[in-house]
Amino acid sequence: MTSRTRWTPYVFISPFFILFFVFMIVPVGAGAYLSLTEWAGLGTPEFIGLDNYRRLMDDPVFGISLFNTGFYTLCALLIVFPAALLMAVALNARGLKLRDFFRMIYFMPVVLSPIIIALIFGLIFDGEYGLFNAILQALFGYAGINWLTDPLWARVVVVILVLWRWTGFLTIFFLAGLQGIPRELYESAEIDGAGPLRRFFSVTMPQLRPVTAFIAVTMLFNTAQIFEEPFLLTEGGPGQSTVSIAMFIYRAGFEQQELGYAAAAGVMMFIIVFVLGLAAARVFGVGRSNQ
Amino acid sequence: MSQSTTQPETRRQRRGRSRQRAIKPGSNPLGRSLLYVVLAGLVVVYVGPMLWAVSSSFKVRGDIFSFPPQLIPDPVTLENYATLLETQPFWRWMIMSSSVALIATIATVFFCSLAGFGFAKYDFKGKNVLFYTMFSSMALPFAVILVPLFVLVSIMGLSHPFIALIVPWVAPAFGIFMMRQYTEQSVPSELLDAARIDGCGEFKIFLSIVFPLLKPAVGALGVWSFLNSYNNLLWPLVIVAEPQFYTMPLGLQTLFAAEGRQYDLVMAGAVLATVPALIVFFLLRKHMVSGLTAGAVKS
Repeated sequence: MTSRTRWTPYVFISPFFILFFVFMIVPVGAGAYLSLTEWAGLGTPEFIGLDNYRRLMDDPVFGISLFNTGFYTLCALLIVFPAALLMAVALNARGLKLRDFFRMIYFMPVVLSPIIIALIFGLIFDGEYGLFNAILQALFGYAGINWLTDPLWARVVVVILVLWRWTGFLTIFFLAGLQGIPRELYESAEIDGAGPLRRFFSVTMPQLRPVTAFIAVTMLFNTAQIFEEPFLLTEGGPGQSTVSIAMFIYRAGFEQQELGYAAAAGVMMFIIVFVLGLAAARVFGVGRSNQ
Repeated sequence: MSQSTTQPETRRQRRGRSRQRAIKPGSNPLGRSLLYVVLAGLVVVYVGPMLWAVSSSFKVRGDIFSFPPQLIPDPVTLENYATLLETQPFWRWMIMSSSVALIATIATVFFCSLAGFGFAKYDFKGKNVLFYTMFSSMALPFAVILVPLFVLVSIMGLSHPFIALIVPWVAPAFGIFMMRQYTEQSVPSELLDAARIDGCGEFKIFLSIVFPLLKPAVGALGVWSFLNSYNNLLWPLVIVAEPQFYTMPLGLQTLFAAEGRQYDLVMAGAVLATVPALIVFFLLRKHMVSGLTAGAVKS
């Protein structure tokens, strides 16, 4: 390589690293410092040691937000993930007509603004006037569920919203992965006498592993930072029952003006996601699969 | 991948056989019809709520919440749209959001393709470490840096919406990763070497040879980046203070959070606001799928 080109790749990738340093590394450091202070945004932050962390441990709302975020993430992995895989398998059926049309329709929610999605779901799951209760009433003569004002059902509706919004998006990744699996593998499995279920677990799943890992990790990190769904749909309510960690941080920092406290919650989130990320990298072998 | 080990001839023969089988609609016509029923049912599940939103936006306020719900508005009214456009700076939100999203998209596509090219087609010291650093940065949740980023951006005097809403986001790791995967697959290195022998500079190689070959990936990244910016709520909520710089989601959210929950106006606004996003999506939807999945499937 000539000396002229030696620096070229560094120049090409430098914009990312400059922004990464200024807008990610520095904030992480600044957040760690802020988390040790009490600060309302004006004047000088006052150093208070680990007080914010002690307070977080005793704050029931922070506990709820951790629980909820864990619940949303678990639901994403146990419900959204298999749903997307099933939809992709259905769309991958041989000789399926209208495949592109179905795929496009299922993908559409990603295009919509979270505001409109929250509005629609607010209307549909309204306890008194909602479409969903009207359907229940028509089918079963029962429409007594106050979806959005019951702490348990409100969480369920948040999960339904996540399911509706993200499944089609994940489906296109699964489908692309499925389409990359050579048909010969299925044919030889069929000749060997493997039934559809057997073929799915001994051909599809192993072949799909890179995609599965990618989707699982993407979903894990995306759901861990869930904000819009509960913020817009339920405003964290009823009470604080649907608050997520990201929402907790937003509220502490920008509604209650406790920037130090919010920063401490941010540091806690960083630690949790970091540990989860390491665990996920272990389980799914991400990073190793690159080479 | 393992399919490359198969002989080309036999592959083609087998393909032909599976295609023949595809013409006969499977061995199980009942299962096949069931499949279509399920897929069509899902279409209803997806399209239904969207149509419900459109329908609600044409209802008078009292009819939006009525039991049993009205499927088709009666009476149909344009009142919501008219009142929204009269009383709210809707077009200002629209222009703000669209221009921010457009600038961000152009910058993102440029920086990501450039960096993706750098990672895909050059060997340099520290490449693996740098790539892995870039890749792992995707795992950092935005909420973690929300507070300190707000503080830093304010201190550095970058809180003007046109700077704060664009600059930090123009080189996302996901985009670079995607472009790197795509460049590796679809840009032959011999082409670059030939250009070098002709005395072409590296940046010119990027602009005139590499970039044109990346079209599908550019389309996908473009849609992804436009939608991300156009629909973003949390960051504008934090950083944009002056109402004259409100973006669309921020304007609608403020209207919605205001007293009395103006469902009628917000619904009309949300339906209108979706139009540009849908246009961008429909124009580039073909690229979207192939480009987005290129990276994920192969790595």
